[in-house]
This record gives sequence, C-alpha cells and structure tokens, in this order.
Amino acid sequence: MPPRIDFFAASRPLTYRPKALNCPRRAQQVFKTLPASCRGFANSHDLPIAEGAEGPNTDTLPHVSEEAAAINEITGKGGPEIEQGTPVQEVVKGDKEAEKNLPKVMQQDMKASKPSGVRSYHTSARRLQDATLITQPSQALSQPGVKFGLPDLPMPRSANLHHRYDPAVEQVTNLMMRHGKLSVAQRNMSLILTHLRTASPPTINPLRPLLPGAPPPSHLPLNPILYLTLAIDSVAPLMRIRSQRGAAGGGVALQIPVPLGLRQRRRTAVQWILDAATKRRNRGSGKGMFAQRVAEELVSVVEGKSSVWEKRGGVHKMGVGARANLKFGQRR
Amino acid sequence: MPSSRCLLRLPHPPSSLLAAPIAPHTSTSLRHAAPFSASASQCMPAPAKKKGVTFGGPPARGTKALRIKKTVRQSTARPPAPGERRALRKRIVLSNTNALEVAGLRDATLDSLVDEAMVGKVVGLPGQVVDSLRVVEAFKVHQGWGLFRRPACLVRKETVEIGRVVAEAEEQKTTRRVVLCGERNSGKSVLLLQGLAGAFMRGWVVLNFPEAKDLTIGHTAYSPIPNTTPTQYAQRTYTANLLSQISKANASVLSALQITQSHDLPMPLQRNLTLDRLCELGARDPDIAWPIFQALWKELTAPGRPPVFMALDGLAHVMRLSAYLAPDTKPIHAHDLALVNHFVEYLSGQKQLGNGGVVMAAVSESNQPRTPALEHAPRRKQPESFLEHQLRQLKHWNPYVKGDERVIKALDGVEVLRLKGLSREEARGVMEYYAASGMLRNTVTEGFVSEKWSLAGQGIVGELERAAVRLRV
Repeated sequence: MPPRIDFFAASRPLTYRPKALNCPRRAQQVFKTLPASCRGFANSHDLPIAEGAEGPNTDTLPHVSEEAAAINEITGKGGPEIEQGTPVQEVVKGDKEAEKNLPKVMQQDMKASKPSGVRSYHTSARRLQDATLITQPSQALSQPGVKFGLPDLPMPRSANLHHRYDPAVEQVTNLMMRHGKLSVAQRNMSLILTHLRTASPPTINPLRPLLPGAPPPSHLPLNPILYLTLAIDSVAPLMRIRSQRGAAGGGVALQIPVPLGLRQRRRTAVQWILDAATKRRNRGSGKGMFAQRVAEELVSVVEGKSSVWEKRGGVHKMGVGARANLKFGQRR
Repeated sequence: MPSSRCLLRLPHPPSSLLAAPIAPHTSTSLRHAAPFSASASQCMPAPAKKKGVTFGGPPARGTKALRIKKTVRQSTARPPAPGERRALRKRIVLSNTNALEVAGLRDATLDSLVDEAMVGKVVGLPGQVVDSLRVVEAFKVHQGWGLFRRPACLVRKETVEIGRVVAEAEEQKTTRRVVLCGERNSGKSVLLLQGLAGAFMRGWVVLNFPEAKDLTIGHTAYSPIPNTTPTQYAQRTYTANLLSQISKANASVLSALQITQSHDLPMPLQRNLTLDRLCELGARDPDIAWPIFQALWKELTAPGRPPVFMALDGLAHVMRLSAYLAPDTKPIHAHDLALVNHFVEYLSGQKQLGNGGVVMAAVSESNQPRTPALEHAPRRKQPESFLEHQLRQLKHWNPYVKGDERVIKALDGVEVLRLKGLSREEARGVMEYYAASGMLRNTVTEGFVSEKWSLAGQGIVGELERAAVRLRV
C-alpha cells in the first residue's frame, strides 16, 4: 500500500489551535452601523476612540495557508482553499508526474469522475446552493392568507424558549446559584448588571489586554451584558492541565495541556471570579452585598487589577512548559 | 503487635459512667456520688501531672514537641464605622453619569402636571424641587432614580388627577383628603412624590411623613403629654427631625413668613422671628420640639398663610395599635401618638385646613401589617387593600367583623384613588425615555411595548421597569 499523503501530520504536534472565541453577539452590534431608530442618542462622529485596541499579541502572523491564499489572491492565481481542507486530487491536478504517484483508488476515481452524460457538471456539489434557495418560497408565502406574517429566517437563537436569554448571562447565573435558589441568583445577576451600568467606566491597563476588538471602555457601562462577557472571556484560560498519573515514570504525574471549549473556558473564569469575590470584604450590609462584590471583581478584572489574571497566567505558563507532553498517547 | 492489642483491651471505664445507671436503684448513700460531688472519698483521684510535658510553654531542652502555629488571620482593613454600612444601604442616588442625556426632556411646570395633553410624556423634575424632595425623603431606595441622568417621571392619567385636586384645593381654599391604593409596584409612592413636587412648585408648605412605620414601631423616644385626655404621646426626637426637614425643604416659603400669633412656649420668642427660624429652634432642642411644632401649626393655619400639603406613606402602619406601651403596659393606639393624631385629624376631616390644602396618604402593599380587625373578613374576590376593605365596610357594615372604630372613623369619606397599570400609550412614552437614556437597548416598537406591557401585568409600572431596564430575568 503506498504511503498516505498527510499534509497536516507535520503541524499536528506543533501547534494546537483551540476553537476561536466567538465574539459575543452583542459585541458585534457595537461596530455595526445601527439604524438611527435603534440608537437615537449618540452620533457616530463623537464616538470615543479605543485606547490600546491593539495589544502586544493582537497582530500575529496568519497561518501559512492563509498567507498563501492572500498572496495568490493578489497575484491572481487560485490559491489554497482556507475554509475547508484542499483535496489531494485538486492539489496534484494537472501535474502528470504527481498523478502517477497517487493511490490507485484516487486514480480510478479521477478517471471515473469525468461526466459521461449530457450534463457537464457535478450535481453533488450543489447542496449549498440549494440551501440558500429555501428562503425563496417563504417570500412567496407572505401573501394574504398568512395571519401573522412569516418569521424572518433564519430564526434568531433567542426565538427558542430555552435560549431566550444571553448564553453568558445564563451560565453565570447558574454558576452563582446556591442550594438550587435560581431566583436569588437571578436577582443577584440583575444587581450585578445594574452595578456595572452605574459604576464609572473602567480604566484599561495596557499590560492586561482584553480581547482584541473590545469596544472602548466608555461604551461598556451602557451595555452591561457585553461588559460582563468581555470580562469573563478576557480572563478565561485557553487550556487546563490534565495530570496523567504514572505517565512520567517514577510515580510522577505527567502534566498534559488540554484545550477547553467556549463554555468550559467561561466556566473556569467565572469560578475564579466568584472565588475572588467571596474573599472580598463587604462594605455595606443587606441582601445585595455578594452581588456588589462580584460586580466589583468584574470591574477589577477589566481594569487588570484582579488576582484572577495571575491564575490565568499560571495555567498558561504551565501549559507552555508542558507542551512537549502533548504527544503523550499518540501513535508514533 | 501493639495496635491489635489496643483493640483487645478496653480501657477502664470512668466512675461516672458506672455510677449513672446504678444511682436510681440504690439507696441514698450512693446518691451523693454525683459528678459534682465534693466528697473526696467517692471521687476519682485527679490524674497525675505528667512530668516533662507542660501545656502552653515551650518544651524542655532536649525534648521534641509538635508545634502547630495558630493561624489567626489579622485583617488590616479598617472596620466599618458605626452606621456606615447602614448609610450605604440607605443611600439615595439620583443620577447615573453613564446614562445618556435625553434630548428634549422638559422640566415639569405647574401646567404640565395638570395638562391632559402631557399624559404619556416624561418630564424632568426641576433642581430646586429635587432638593426639597430629597430633604423630605420622598425618594425611596428601591425606586429606579439612580439609573438615569437626572430625576424625571412619567405624567400619567392619575398625575393629572392629583394635579387638579391640588389646584382646586388652592382655588377654593378647601381641604382635600385622598388615599392612594393599588397593586404592588403600581406607582403609589411616586404619585405621592409627584403631588409633593406640585405642592413645592406652587409654593405650598409641605409636611411629609416618609415612612409611617418609623412612627409606630417603637424606635424613637416617646413621652406622655400632660393634660391630655386620652393621654397623647409626643415623639420628641422624631418631631425635632421633622421640624428640621420642614425648615430646610420649605425655606423659600417660610423665610418670608413671620410670627403673628402669641404662643406660650417655655422660652421667649423674638418678635419678628421667621417661621423657618422657629422650626430650627425646635430642631435644635428635642425637648421643646413638640410645643414648637404646635406653634408652627398655629401660625400656618392663621388666615393669609399659604396652603399646606401633608403626606404620609405606608398608611396601614398608623391604623393599628403601635408598638409603644402605656404605663399600664397596654399597647398605645397609633392614633394616640401626637404626630399621628395630628395627621389623622385632618385625614378624617375632623379639622379643616383654613387656607386650603391636601392631606394625602399612600398605602404600601409590600410592607403592610396584618390588622386584627380584618382577620374574620370574608373571602374577597378581588385583591383589595386593607383600606379599601375598611372603606367598603363603612357602607355595608358586617356586624360579625370586629372593626377598629377609630380607624373606621378616620377613613370616613376620604377620596380613594386606585392605581392600575399604565395604558399602552403611557407605557410607550416611558419606554422611549428608557431607550433615549441608553438604558434599554431595543428598538421601541409596537410589538415590543405590548410584549413588555403584558409581561408587566398589564402595565404595572414597577414591573415594566424591572422587565425593561433592570435586566431582571
């Protein structure tokens, strides 16, 4: 059997690429030019300019294939497809020498795939186009006879009963809940958001960069959900350290970095923040004090003063140190 | 093996364990072998002190001892000063600098509070009025003033009604007696505040009891007033505080008025003393606060003086027995407290304000004590407040229900204004104000307004605010 060509095998042990943090839905709204009816209160020309929008790590080099695609776009040649992996057949297409070395299955496939009938095109690749056509008949149906009109498609996430609230807010609320008292947690969440919107705008510390593309601090109090999401996502760790017992030999655990998903990352960050908040000191008295401490902690996270940043730094440092252990358990 | 041997041999039981079951059955000779017996013969000898180990001190030279450091966490932070935490809890914030300035927000005027065309619009409160309202504690902690740039309120249908009541009382020089009822969060206290604001703008003298509960729960000093039947009780500290509020809030009106009547006070008064100075005298010395309050009232009800607006929030607390005790250890009825009695006399119509005026009280639905008079009340179809029930009973008195006669008399013939939810137009007006302040991030459309209006129990204004602004899930 001829050896399989694997283009990605080389890069696998070297880089690990966690799932990119989705920019929160509301975050995008800040940059879009909203219709005047949405925000009849501020003009675009007096928007403050973001301070320190570019952090030290924000302008890194793109991936090799992305760079190649960009160059080929400039020169006018068809470059590698970035969205999906490029099939090997397409890479070697036209190159007689390389085609000879292809596996037999692929060679047969290339011969057979030439359309023999009347149609000179494939029908299998048209699925995506069909999907976009689905909206067409719904327009036709919005004629008289539809009582309440047709919904705009695709339906927003919040249209579903179970996803009507912001995912980050919901997750933090659930993590704050103690003894199953959801209503108390919800009240605390409301108090936190109220505090974020009434407290003075944070001063950003350039040494602790927030997520790239974060709005300027003066915009944050008016959008407390974004404020909360930004604080959590900025301080969320990219990975956790898994200790594999006995793998290092001599009874020592092997530290293996494991990438985390979005919700996992947020969960870790929220728990760190809640831990730090419980250690804070109450200034007043009454019911809302825990909420106030959490809110103050969130502000100090955005300002770069919180001890949570050190926790994140520690995990990342350990992850970098243990990156050689990523190979553990892989077939060689 | 030493460890197994330990399990095989049980330790010798202490004498107290053995003595306990025996004691009931045996004769009296053994009874004195109780654990606390002082007799030396029956007691176990005290355990001999071990040599070499001393508790508390350092170990002797040459011996090793386990040292456990006590972890006493010393906090370096300054502990909160007395009253500081409470002050933080009770702090009233009237401005949010993050909120956007609403373009075209007009100040309330005398006309705008009476004009029906203004219904559904939000008007700002003028700065001087805000100061006065703050002094008389008309703003409450739980209200949403701290979310917006400056204090502003919605003109609703009932606001105009109240505005007209005030205007008519001024024109006809009559006393209007109004009680505000309605569901929880339906805006009773804010409507009372709007009435107070209107009175301040008209140049009336305003007297406000911000929380009736404070008068009756027994938290301030009280003393009987001599030569009163039934005995009345003055609350001197509260009265002094009230006088200070009156003088500060109505300074512009009272400073233009001088003493014209003769009073018998424990100290001589200056001849051309202004009324705000008179209040300050009482505010400074709680001992003479009550006589000075009476003197002030005598001045205010003299002919040619401005009308008076008297307001009280949380009416149910003064319509029952108070927490104070009379010398015969019986509870004092709230109406026997001098300040409450003063208010109730005017609310019941027993006395009239000579220069015209309004006596207004609001019921609190979130802090309403149970009234014994209502315990046997029949099941009610609609949720109605205690007062409404009392009022209904005046017409069709149920002989099997034990009622408080003084309370029933006090509420005889008052006008009752029942607050309901906002109309959709009013809801839309207030939500547009929320959006213009930047506190609501949605586009205010017909559908959005009716969604929130329905969720808020058909426009209960507090619930509307909770759903739209407070981000309460």
